[in-house]
Amino acid sequence: MGFLDNSGDIILDAVLTDHGRKELSKGDGSFQITKFALGDEEIDYSLYNKTHPSGSAYYDLEILQTPILESFTDNAASMKTHLQTYTDLELLFLPVLRLNETDRKTERRSNGSFYVAVNRETEDNDGSSTTLTGVARDSDGKERKGFIFGESLVGTFVKLDQGLNTTEISPKRRLDSGLMETSYTIQIDDRLGKLVSTAGDLASPDYIDDDHIAYYTMDLGDAFVSRITDDTNSPSQVIRGPRGTSVEFRIQASMDLNTSSYLFTTLGATEDLDSRTATGSPKSTVLYIDSNVRVMGVKTGVFLDVPIRYVRLQ
Amino acid sequence: MTYKPLNASDTVSTRTLLHEAIPLTGTIVSGTYSDENIKNFAHGMFQSVYDYPYLSSSANHIFDLTLGVHAQGLATSVQTSKKKNIYNQMAQVLMGYDATGSVQKFDEDGDLLGSGQKLNEVFIVPFSRLLSKDEIKKETFELTLGVMPSYFDPMERTLVISDYGASTEYRVNSPVGEYGILYARDGRLNTGSSNLDASSTHKVSVGGVDSWYAGLLFYQAGVMVLTASLLQNGGDLLDVGATLEFERDGTTIDASIPTTSISGAADDFRRRIKNIQFNNTTELNSTVYFCRANHNEFNYSSNPTYVNESKVRVKTQATDDPVSYITTVGLYNDNNELMGTAKLSEPLKKNPSTEYTIRVRLDY
Repeated sequence: MGFLDNSGDIILDAVLTDHGRKELSKGDGSFQITKFALGDEEIDYSLYNKTHPSGSAYYDLEILQTPILESFTDNAASMKTHLQTYTDLELLFLPVLRLNETDRKTERRSNGSFYVAVNRETEDNDGSSTTLTGVARDSDGKERKGFIFGESLVGTFVKLDQGLNTTEISPKRRLDSGLMETSYTIQIDDRLGKLVSTAGDLASPDYIDDDHIAYYTMDLGDAFVSRITDDTNSPSQVIRGPRGTSVEFRIQASMDLNTSSYLFTTLGATEDLDSRTATGSPKSTVLYIDSNVRVMGVKTGVFLDVPIRYVRLQ
Repeated sequence: MTYKPLNASDTVSTRTLLHEAIPLTGTIVSGTYSDENIKNFAHGMFQSVYDYPYLSSSANHIFDLTLGVHAQGLATSVQTSKKKNIYNQMAQVLMGYDATGSVQKFDEDGDLLGSGQKLNEVFIVPFSRLLSKDEIKKETFELTLGVMPSYFDPMERTLVISDYGASTEYRVNSPVGEYGILYARDGRLNTGSSNLDASSTHKVSVGGVDSWYAGLLFYQAGVMVLTASLLQNGGDLLDVGATLEFERDGTTIDASIPTTSISGAADDFRRRIKNIQFNNTTELNSTVYFCRANHNEFNYSSNPTYVNESKVRVKTQATDDPVSYITTVGLYNDNNELMGTAKLSEPLKKNPSTEYTIRVRLDY
């Protein structure tokens, strides 16, 4: 995509997304535009210079010079950040989403990614006492940090907390209802994995787009979203100010990854991981695919991309 | 709130007609590529003309060319049934049937019930949809045809054939939509009668200018039907002072049509095309979405750079106005699925003292 010509009048470059065209082609009336949102994904607000010596007219000089790309037709690549409407115009703090890794069960591996072992062989050789090439347990049978068991659905899970991450407001203070996120959209590549609750219940996607991205909506009160009730300065909390809700989930490896290495050889690479022997040696070579799971608040628009690495014994 | 509903007054459907000028230089049709852009088929029913050697993937099909002869026309000895079949096929598609179920013949003035003359031998040129799009724009069509008697210098004298006056006078009695009457005028003067028979029964006055019936132009179908008499000197239409050599060996068109193949006649006709030009029409159906950002809406952002430690970067204190910058408009369905996007060419500053209505047009 090129940049739009910004030398004259403001122009608008409008396109249907690939998913929109797909819906239109169905001819069943499912293509309906009923709402809009505004986005600002090119804007780097850190360029907003409130101390510019020439005065307030120059605060956003660099932002206003930002070149804008032509429209993307990929629906998953567009509208990543949304403008928000809050009736209170005197808000100084806005909620964020943060990974909560305060528990060993919710920690990533040291390289910053959650690992999904896609079959029982990769998890722990299905409990074999003679074959020790599995990578998700150690020699004592303990689950290794950062491993989601993609077939048996135990091990690590992903936990994200929402709220005002500031020390300037006490966590005792209740989060304003307008800032409390109650619904989340979770996007995951459906070719690779599916969303399950920490109890192992498989969720149903709202829809899967033409690029195989599955969209799930999770609401407060279901098995995925809960209210954060701890208002102390407990080390188990990553939101330092008023707290909202928490999202938890695991990932089930897709049937393709579970049964075949085709996608791994097509999309991935290899790495060596500690095996189940006492020393971890010899290491086991695994095929892997790196991906992201995007969690986005429906009301507040906050989002976080969670890095996921799917691994399978070579 | 991230999404704002669009209500009935925020959406409007419009229709726009888009026109493109299509110039077809005659040399492309008759020589630039040494006929490597002309595709003949084993069936011999028509030939296709491309804008580049057709074996290249860069080539675009621009039109086809064929010859149709009615059963009551010239008696032919070569491809007799194919010439007749072409005529009947095109006539039944373009002119339809009469009350008895018989195929109507091409009529020079479009008055099918009147006693106007019928066209029995016609060159038929269906233009590619790539060129004609939804339809040919009325009164923009112009064909310049070389009518010099000499086979080798055909462009020394020309006729201009056009649908003069068609924007206000056209026919609607065809099963394929509207069609206009093509008239021939002298190419040098674009008026007068130096190349045309002044006493012809095909002569009429169009807009006060003497003109001669030359064929029909079907606008939506994108098909030109041209009488073969245009290339017959002394045939009650053309008057160029000498026998017009249609074939290389000097054979006239009335002698050629019975004895030459369709592709052979198409070759000889093509080399007399000096220029074709017209405007096409694309009908754009658009829906315009008026995306209204009121003063108290969309003043904050979920952009990760918007906050630092949850604190809004663009504010120093809570009472400062929030500021955001619009670069994109997303159009969604009820399930929050992104159906369309629109990009502004530069960021638009939004704060509580500004309101915008962004007009997003989607064309179908």
